[in-house]
Amino acid sequence: MVLALSAGKIQQHISAIASGFLGDWLENRGNGLAVPMTLFVDGKPLDVRNPKLDAPGGTLCVSIHGLMELESVWDFPGQAGEHYGTRLAGAMGDTTALKLRFNSGRPIYRNGQDLASLLDQLVARWPVPVERIILLGHSMGGLMIRSACHFGSVQAHSWVGKQLECVYIGSPHDGSWLAIGAHKVAETLNRVPRDYLKVVGEVIDLRSEGIRNLSRGDVFEPGTVEQPLIPEARHYVISGLLAKTENHRVNVMFGDALVHESSVRGARREGWELSGIANFPGVDHIRLAHHPLVCGQLQEWLV
Amino acid sequence: MKGPENNVHWWLGVADLLAHGLQHGTVKLKRVHLSLADESFRVLEAIPVTRSGSRVVRVCHHSVSHLSYAAVSMAGRAIAVLAGNASSRRVVAQKYDENVNNS
Repeated sequence: MVLALSAGKIQQHISAIASGFLGDWLENRGNGLAVPMTLFVDGKPLDVRNPKLDAPGGTLCVSIHGLMELESVWDFPGQAGEHYGTRLAGAMGDTTALKLRFNSGRPIYRNGQDLASLLDQLVARWPVPVERIILLGHSMGGLMIRSACHFGSVQAHSWVGKQLECVYIGSPHDGSWLAIGAHKVAETLNRVPRDYLKVVGEVIDLRSEGIRNLSRGDVFEPGTVEQPLIPEARHYVISGLLAKTENHRVNVMFGDALVHESSVRGARREGWELSGIANFPGVDHIRLAHHPLVCGQLQEWLV
Repeated sequence: MKGPENNVHWWLGVADLLAHGLQHGTVKLKRVHLSLADESFRVLEAIPVTRSGSRVVRVCHHSVSHLSYAAVSMAGRAIAVLAGNASSRRVVAQKYDENVNNS
């Protein structure tokens, strides 16, 4: 039984990584490695068309993971099933903590559209009236929230009209230095008149649309004019840094390992009104998804 | 990832991905191999003593390489086609079952 469980988890992680790298291609081929978008409650998949829960809350707290991750990234180390959502639910009461799993290689705007439609369906069929929605997004998950909010607002989805709170945790709104670097390296190598170097550039170019979107923080459908954060919601930003000293050279170069602090704050975006900004030096990109300090900050803002 | 049906679909997906990796990876490896070899052949070509010999060796080397890489790439393509077809049939069957169950 233990072996079967761990084999299943390994399969899920392989699917998440393959989907992150080549998710759009896998989806187009109907490949079994492509991760379908699924909501989980207490570790079990939720049927959005007919949500059945023992004690559904009037507040929904949805945690959305990042590139190549699974919903398990939210769990505190050594405490499976314990995450920001459950801690918030415990502190606030009348709250259901949900986690989303999705194919992170698809273009962010397509995942955003699907998330918006999923939330619309969920709120419409939720057993009790939904009054408040909290969306927690780690890394790419935060970009997906922005995309879903824009799409939901344009489509006049009912969930956008609820008390809506969006928390972007380590999200590269202005792009990730690693994704930008990969883009530049591929571009340079493709111009070199040596086939063996061109091949390296071509291999880097195989990356999914989701990864490409991370180089500039693209969350809208191509051709859409840049949109500010939706005014119906309150928006919070949380960033991390590798070194504990804020102005350390490592932080200036690498930020939280993958994203710079300025990118998390959306420094280049115009017309952003943020209800809260928090920075945690010494907490790296992945640990931002399950760190006690971040949990404390969320409780301070949301409870 | 539940049930034996999904597990078979998952393994077919792995086979499909690996076969595609083999097919396209072989083509890319061939290009790296031949372009690196060409660097050496260019040097030999510039030396009058080795020029004529290197031309013959280059043709033989490139011909054998083309054949070898093409054989591996074709094997990858065949596996990819088989895995892709099996996977598609399974998806169609699954959708049919879902429609029947929903109706």
